[in-house]
Amino acid sequence: MKGYRDYFLKKLAWFVVTVVVAFTLNFILPRLMPGDPVAAIVARMAQGMSNATGVQAVYEQYTELFATDQPLLNQYVIYLRNVLNGDFGYSISQYPRTVADVISASIWWTIALQFPAIIVGWIVGNTLGALAAYLRKGFDKVLLPVSLFLSNLPAFGMATILLVIFAVNLRWFPTSGGYDYAMVPSASWEFVWSVIVHYQLPFWSIVLITIGGQAIGMRSMAIYELNADYVKYARFLGIKDSKIIRYVFRNAMLPQITGLALSIGTMVSGALVAEIIFSYPGLGSTTLSAVLGGDYPLISATTLIITFMALIAFFALEILYGLIDPRIKAAQSG
Amino acid sequence: MAKTVLEVRELTTRYITRFRESIYAVDHVSLKVDEGRSLGIAGESGCGKSTLALSLMGYYFPPLYYTSGQIIVDERNITGMDPDDVRKTILGNEVSYIPQAAMNALNPTRRVINFIEDVIQAHRPETTKREIYDMARERFELLGLPPEVLEKFPVELSGGMKQRTVIATSVILSPKVLVADEPSSALDVTSQKMVIKMVMDLMEKGIIKALVFITHELPLLYNVTDDIMVMYAGQVVERGTAQETVFDPIHPYTRALMGSIIVPEAGLRGVKLAAIPGTPPNLKRPPSGCRFAERCKYAMPECRAASVDLHETKAGRAYRCIIPEEDLRRLYKNEQ
Repeated sequence: MKGYRDYFLKKLAWFVVTVVVAFTLNFILPRLMPGDPVAAIVARMAQGMSNATGVQAVYEQYTELFATDQPLLNQYVIYLRNVLNGDFGYSISQYPRTVADVISASIWWTIALQFPAIIVGWIVGNTLGALAAYLRKGFDKVLLPVSLFLSNLPAFGMATILLVIFAVNLRWFPTSGGYDYAMVPSASWEFVWSVIVHYQLPFWSIVLITIGGQAIGMRSMAIYELNADYVKYARFLGIKDSKIIRYVFRNAMLPQITGLALSIGTMVSGALVAEIIFSYPGLGSTTLSAVLGGDYPLISATTLIITFMALIAFFALEILYGLIDPRIKAAQSG
Repeated sequence: MAKTVLEVRELTTRYITRFRESIYAVDHVSLKVDEGRSLGIAGESGCGKSTLALSLMGYYFPPLYYTSGQIIVDERNITGMDPDDVRKTILGNEVSYIPQAAMNALNPTRRVINFIEDVIQAHRPETTKREIYDMARERFELLGLPPEVLEKFPVELSGGMKQRTVIATSVILSPKVLVADEPSSALDVTSQKMVIKMVMDLMEKGIIKALVFITHELPLLYNVTDDIMVMYAGQVVERGTAQETVFDPIHPYTRALMGSIIVPEAGLRGVKLAAIPGTPPNLKRPPSGCRFAERCKYAMPECRAASVDLHETKAGRAYRCIIPEEDLRRLYKNEQ
């Protein structure tokens, strides 16, 4: 167990370093851009004002508010303290809502949409890929081209196809939104039903693409493992095929877990397309409107969230790998 | 007379390629191993010796298919048996196998002891984990392997240790026959010696009753096995005791094979080093006559006319050539 503790501590140290670097870059990059943001705001506000002292007063007030007159290091400390308190400032495009408020209202929509979709797509895709590798013949001949088609279809293409077929032509599902426009969120059955109906198209557009990619990956990994030397040896020692299949799929699954962590970590940016096309009220749509509205505090907060989610997912992945694949730990510590 | 543990009669197996061509990699091969004896099989790469090793197990999966012949293990014909019965009662239990690629022979994500559990439970499902651990520990200690290896993952073992672990695992159920397919060829010289000594120990300690040892190094066999069989293009070309085959070969191919190897053993050093010209024939369309004729310096037009039979000179000694033994010996003598 000592070996694993060392591995864990090493990974944890790297995680902390990456978080600090990512956080700092997130702070510093916008501030390296030329131009004075306070001057820009004041210029917008001062339109039509002729009183120079008035303009000067507004400028000073904003400078103090945003602390842009402080040295960069002080600004950094202030920013760090605010972020740790969950204070990301005010959203410009949705003023007077705070950034924290805007994000907490939309992030759950994204998680509720993406997380189940990724898990379902991953499980179904891997099962189908494993079956195709094991059964070969007809099943494989159908699955492979279908998966190739699904996985290479761009996300907007899949979303648009589903939208046109099931929402516009068949009218089985609504075209957009997270729930009916006429409704106010409440704990009623009508509202829940409305959410479920609105959920289907964005959900399946993500699931189908995930299935395609995962099935192809699993199929080739499993075919590779099925031809490995240890399979032959296990067979010649009389081990049952059903047991050998379990060896093979466990080992073929390992690289697939990377794909899973990757999708979960990049959930927010992954949701962007589906959320935009279906006008789903998640973080993806929020990010888009923040970019279009020049809402810097909101952009900065969403970028930070996207970065952190990816880092946490990779950290969790490495910790998990150390437990389930003895080769990783040996290679890292040896 | 000693009991025959493994007998193979006219065994033919073939590979079927994805273009539906048949490659007869083992062509009417017969052999016999008595209790307490070891048989070495030698030949160049591609001569069918590894395929013979696989075929001996009596358990086939694509692209290798059984065609004809019999395999008799301890007076039981296993060629007609249901494949799942072969798996349960023969593989690993009566006839076991050491693969060529021991580096990758163990499942990388399973501890050695868990793999041994799988092997034992495949044949004796009622064995408890405790009993399995005791069996494994005892066998590992008997073979000079530290029992800590049992708790390790393959990746934590060195190459030589991995190979020795594979050997110990293969004989965990004390099989009657062990088929070793080039168990030492991928190792460094020290590990090689250790592995070969270990395989020989298995016989001496009575863990196995008979050994089939396959290698491309003919002189190595002289030190390891009692009898030697030389294969060329899927067929047996010569058979005899180790002493006879190495020091007194009859077939031109065996002689050439001896000459093509650097030999450190005293008494063999006089043999001139010379590569055998040409390449083995394509087994998709084997030549109709003698298969070695293309590369044989004594070849005559008659050699290519019809297939050549194996001539038995005395019990256990045979060669496949149309030139009589005495004439071959005279030819060899004239060269010196």
